[in-house]
Amino acid sequence: MAATQGFKRHGSHSYVITLDSAESGVLINLCEQLIELLSERVDHGHEDPLAAMVGITSHDSPPEDEVLHRLLPDAYADEVAASEFRRYTESTLRQKKEAHAMSIRMALKSSPEGDVELDHDGANAWLGALNDMRLALGVRLKIDNSSYEHLELLTPDDPLRGVYAVYTWLGWLQESLLEALMSEVD
Amino acid sequence: MAIKTESAIEAEIKAIFSDNSPWVTLVWDDPVNLQSYVTYVFMELFGYSKAKATELMLQVHNEGKAIVSTGSREEMEHDVARLHEYGLWATIQRGDLA
Repeated sequence: MAATQGFKRHGSHSYVITLDSAESGVLINLCEQLIELLSERVDHGHEDPLAAMVGITSHDSPPEDEVLHRLLPDAYADEVAASEFRRYTESTLRQKKEAHAMSIRMALKSSPEGDVELDHDGANAWLGALNDMRLALGVRLKIDNSSYEHLELLTPDDPLRGVYAVYTWLGWLQESLLEALMSEVD
Repeated sequence: MAIKTESAIEAEIKAIFSDNSPWVTLVWDDPVNLQSYVTYVFMELFGYSKAKATELMLQVHNEGKAIVSTGSREEMEHDVARLHEYGLWATIQRGDLA
């Protein structure tokens, strides 16, 4: 799938890429899945509108879904402190992750030719969303430090093989953006 | 054993009761996050040099975790929230327990 060149630095604070339609399609699809998954944590039943307005949710237990739990992790090993922190911060974190995914989706939807140009903040939003996609797929692929060898050997008819190909491609794309960003710092 | 002066003892008692003892932000090893990404996030969020960020990233990778910032509980909660925004696996704990 790596028909495209990765991100390149363009000028001092600009990062550009041209994605083909298949690549754009994969990214848009992943963004939409991510946004949908995160929306499962939207608090519909909050009784106190003021609390909802300032971002306090009634969620004080971690998500049961393993992917959501990795995207919205516990901040404390201590359960009581973790749930208190979650109540005050989870909706802000969820909204930031949604915003990152939406910025990729919007950039690609508004560029049928697949040309994308990012500034520094835009690059950070892409990095965050690409990473969230990798975390989500990583949970589904049960990635751990010893699983890469096994995943490299999946047979062509194994449905996980396609998922793993997308996972590695996202890593390559993220790495190319990082290289473009870090080339300024060296 | 050093004999503590009265003022040193007073300062210690004060620290215990004022809850000003430092807290730390820990980042844990994660098999998914790219090494270059973890380094970049440390530079971006904490303003660390590339050398320091790389050293911390390697500590996370080799030892399973690293303390990436130290300060008040409120400051650490801010740092952890930012690290979670970037998808790093981070937790807060009291500095004396880390």
